[in-house]
Amino acid sequence: MPRREPAWRVTAWELEAAVEEERGSGDRAASYLISPFGGRLNRVLLAGTLSPAEPVGRDESQPFWRARLVDPTGTVVVTAGSFQPRAMAQLRAGTEARPALVVGKVHLYRGRDGVAYVSVRAEALRAVAEAEERSALAESVGQSLDRLDLLARMQPNPGVEPDTYRSEGIPLLWLTAARESLRRFPEADRAPFRASLAAAVQRIAGQTGVVVPPPSVPSVTIHRTPPAAAKTPPTAAERAEESLVLAVLDQVAEASLDGYADRRELLARVGSQGLTGPRAEAVLARLEDEEEVEEPIVGKLRLRTDPARET
Amino acid sequence: MSATSEPSAPREVRLKDLKVGEGPIEFVARVVTCERREVTRKSDGGRRPLLSGLLSDGTATVRFTWWDPPREGIERGTVLRAVGPEVGEYRGRTEVTFNWKSRVGPASEAELPRINPSDLPAKQIRDLRAPDEGFRVVVRVVRVSERSVAVGEERRVVYEGILSDRSGSISFSAWSDFRLRPGDALEIVGAYLRTFRGATQVVLDERAAVRRIDEADLPRPEEILGAPPRSMARVEEDPAGASVSVEGRVVGLLPPSGLVYRCPQCRRSVQGGICRLHGTVTGEADLRARIVLDDGTGAVTINAGREDTERLWGVTLETCRARLREQPDPTLLEGELLESLLGRRLRVRGSSSKDDFGVTITPDSIEPAEIDLESTAEELSNRLGGTH
Repeated sequence: MPRREPAWRVTAWELEAAVEEERGSGDRAASYLISPFGGRLNRVLLAGTLSPAEPVGRDESQPFWRARLVDPTGTVVVTAGSFQPRAMAQLRAGTEARPALVVGKVHLYRGRDGVAYVSVRAEALRAVAEAEERSALAESVGQSLDRLDLLARMQPNPGVEPDTYRSEGIPLLWLTAARESLRRFPEADRAPFRASLAAAVQRIAGQTGVVVPPPSVPSVTIHRTPPAAAKTPPTAAERAEESLVLAVLDQVAEASLDGYADRRELLARVGSQGLTGPRAEAVLARLEDEEEVEEPIVGKLRLRTDPARET
Repeated sequence: MSATSEPSAPREVRLKDLKVGEGPIEFVARVVTCERREVTRKSDGGRRPLLSGLLSDGTATVRFTWWDPPREGIERGTVLRAVGPEVGEYRGRTEVTFNWKSRVGPASEAELPRINPSDLPAKQIRDLRAPDEGFRVVVRVVRVSERSVAVGEERRVVYEGILSDRSGSISFSAWSDFRLRPGDALEIVGAYLRTFRGATQVVLDERAAVRRIDEADLPRPEEILGAPPRSMARVEEDPAGASVSVEGRVVGLLPPSGLVYRCPQCRRSVQGGICRLHGTVTGEADLRARIVLDDGTGAVTINAGREDTERLWGVTLETCRARLREQPDPTLLEGELLESLLGRRLRVRGSSSKDDFGVTITPDSIEPAEIDLESTAEELSNRLGGTH
């Protein structure tokens, strides 16, 4: 029985940097985003200033809303759709920026050119008094520092027994996360992150006011050099799988009201034709990497219509 | 059945000392549970009666299988003398079989072995696992209260509370009056353990012996009841405890929360007007909140009852019922309850239990736990400056 994922106390900076994905395998397995700062995130709790929400997508039967949460270290996109009706109602309720707490699941979307977008799909959120926002921020900063301390101890001594840390009360989850974080970001410079926490401490102390989100800035993006693509030409079988996915995507998009193919529907359809689970995901990822397909809205796919590519 | 065919006189043993493949033995033990069945023989389809269950002599509990048992007279509580049983092992646990070679019959209470406390292994609370018995513990009574319960037709008084030592705390129920007071230091022998909703409990009945002792290295009751909160990661890893304290934020509610209906007889929640035990009943309205409390390292469920829910929410059961008459949608109430609780920092103390869904705490107290922003900011600032 999988345990409930705890809500990691993080700041926007850490979320923005959590661009390494760990896909769970098997039925209902959890997926995680690994941050360079000791986070292995699935559910998170964030405190900050929430901007008014804007609707995304044209499909009225599947409303989807997006807002920005700004804390003293950065900005994160918070979304809610019809599967989170209460969170969506809360997200839509605000007409101006207000301090808020958000609990939700992290989501990574990697766009063209290897740009990674981390967002939070809200499970629950609430507008709060400033003192409450500062108090939750204090937890995030405190736990971020705890995790940085752990990384600093583990990095030079990778061989230390986990029991040594656990006897000090360090959670097993944090140890797993720290190991993964060190493995995936061996070169990470953690000083700027640490410095960003100072701004958060000023906010906790009440020395700075509510952070007002700058108007109409798009969601924060992390530019990430695309991995040097291994240029082995795809096999005939892989090509066949790709054309199956593209053909079905076309059909699904055609039949939908908004012109997008729903990711889940697509996967279900190709699944019924024998291309299932991780294999289908892999093909889709490859198509996205090759810029054949894009996902401009979370969960909504369409074919890239790049005029230069049309022949 | 003749005893003369036995190669040597059986040796009397305690259940804890049973070993597979030893010479002839005998023991005296009490039937703890038993169930009568019939097994169909494959060869001729004949049916053969079988009695199976658990036996205990205060040193251990073992499973027994009795082929062709007497038609009656053997029930829960019967003391048996068994001569020449077969001793086997199944999944690492010793068990005994009575067959045509064994002589088994009722015996008197007085024949049960007298247990000398010093013969029994001393255990720490942390290491107690149901269905252990035949151990000795040295503990402090942290809390005790009496309650009257219906057992079948009669009413009995049961004394419930918490015992603790340096390794942990555990809840107990005593079916005899041992005149326990909070703060008493005790040596207990003859207790047994049971599991209730994932939590292990000590049970003291008339077979248990409780002796007051001079001060030993035991925590004071106030140390247990006033212990600082532990991380949720710790609470999730540790065995369930009778006195657990945690601090975290509300990150969600689990159903059913808000207005619920309970069976007037057993207080179970009623689904569609039907109680699982009492059938169709008129449910009584009640308030509850199943709070998911999370501290960033783990999460536990807090089962808050009416009083706590009303106090945290600031809305009474009566108000809820009135509101429901105006707007007959109970999910609105649940949404409002979540809205009022989400993100709040609470300190909860109570007893924990564990199951497949994780740790649940039945609270003794739920209090808001505010952070002092000024001193916290200063502390965090010092930590940040420390490495600059």
